[in-house]
Amino acid sequence: MKTFLGLGKILALASLFSLTGCGTYNNLVTLEQEVNKKWADVQSVYQRRADLIPNLVNTVAGAANFEKSTLTEVTNARASVGQVKLDPTKAPTDAAELEKFQQAQGQLSTALSRLLVVSERYPELKATQAFQNLQVQLEGTENRISVERNNFNTAVQAYNTALARFPTNMLNHMFGFKPRPFFTAAAGAEKAPEVKFDFNKPAAAPTATP
Amino acid sequence: MHRLAWNLVLGISLGIWSLGFVISSAAAAEVIPPKPTAYFNDYANVVPKEKALALNEKLAQFERDTSNQVLVAVFRKMETDSDVADYTRRIAESWKVGQAEKRNGAVLFVFVQDRKIFIQVGYGLEGALPDVTAFDITERHIKPQFRAGDYAAGLDEGVDLILKAIRGEYRGTGATVQERRAPASSGCGPLGFFIMLIIILMIIRLGRRRGGFGYTGLGGPFISSGWGGGGGWSGGSSSSSGGGFSGFSGGGGSFGGGGAGSSW
Repeated sequence: MKTFLGLGKILALASLFSLTGCGTYNNLVTLEQEVNKKWADVQSVYQRRADLIPNLVNTVAGAANFEKSTLTEVTNARASVGQVKLDPTKAPTDAAELEKFQQAQGQLSTALSRLLVVSERYPELKATQAFQNLQVQLEGTENRISVERNNFNTAVQAYNTALARFPTNMLNHMFGFKPRPFFTAAAGAEKAPEVKFDFNKPAAAPTATP
Repeated sequence: MHRLAWNLVLGISLGIWSLGFVISSAAAAEVIPPKPTAYFNDYANVVPKEKALALNEKLAQFERDTSNQVLVAVFRKMETDSDVADYTRRIAESWKVGQAEKRNGAVLFVFVQDRKIFIQVGYGLEGALPDVTAFDITERHIKPQFRAGDYAAGLDEGVDLILKAIRGEYRGTGATVQERRAPASSGCGPLGFFIMLIIILMIIRLGRRRGGFGYTGLGGPFISSGWGGGGGWSGGSSSSSGGGFSGFSGGGGSFGGGGAGSSW
């Protein structure tokens, strides 16, 4: 009787496998590839932003007595972003890893938006075409970042859902599929950046309308 | 008694239904406009008809030549809580402007009441039309003309500059997406129906005028009687055969946040 039950179990497992195993396995591979591809897209738009920064810093530093503290903050934030390097070809499986990455990028976002707000006080700088172009590129890059992050989250959701669904959830351990963490909205992202001016320095001309 | 119960059920369900409607419409603060049927779409009526038609043909011809799909959409106002870059990207994406593989679409958006212009650039055109170029077009070429109140001139120049920037990036097939799709549906689609209608009417007409002037008189008056007899037909479809007007169909392109805009 006991052997019969065991045989039945094996048979059931085998039939489950043959019915669903192959298809779901391939499906999971496709979805995982998609997640990795979207991750690469995310990395490339973040890289694009990092590449813009030296140019931005140089342009702004050229403006007469621009606040040094704001510039230093941007430079430092970019440096710390460089330290949190994740594999651009493979989406992270560790939520803490992604969190660290996101935190570093978030700091850079804050520093950059602060720089743009501060630049409002320098009408001569804002009037130069070099600065206007950089501002446009920066805004475009931020738009792209939000798009690619959303696309990544959508791909992760499709993959995680497939992974958690019966009977796939019985197979994923066997083949080493792991759920992937999402990007989350940064804490305080909805708040406008806080701006502190160094009033010891001679103030620039009053803000003009752009 | 029975009747009362039924009325009660009906009343309650109607109440729930309308409540659901109110909630859903309150949640959907954003309106994504439906897919346009033309390349040049002036929903705010700020451009003269002939000008709009000419620009529409220019953009259709551009797709035939280069396969790039460039659209213009002039709206009265934005219907969203998001910012203009975000909103217009979602619209362009939902319209599927550009060919699927090349992702070579671009849309010039204008919101008259918000005084906002934005050029959305598909993935495949980000190289030829970078953000800085898009900004230059909106800020230094369209904006001054809009400020002066000349929408037609601003849009004309804007379109020219966009086309100039992206010409040469891809090669066209000589036909638009809609024109390429048309043959597949002939025979059972509206065009096939129209041809069948012409043939049937011709037979009837020939039968009636057997002894008259016959074949030579058929052209002009016959066509107009065909349209009249069709009733709602002329208003219904936006098929490309309507008096030299080229209709638009999205090719499946996608947008990743490229482009730039201005406020005037």
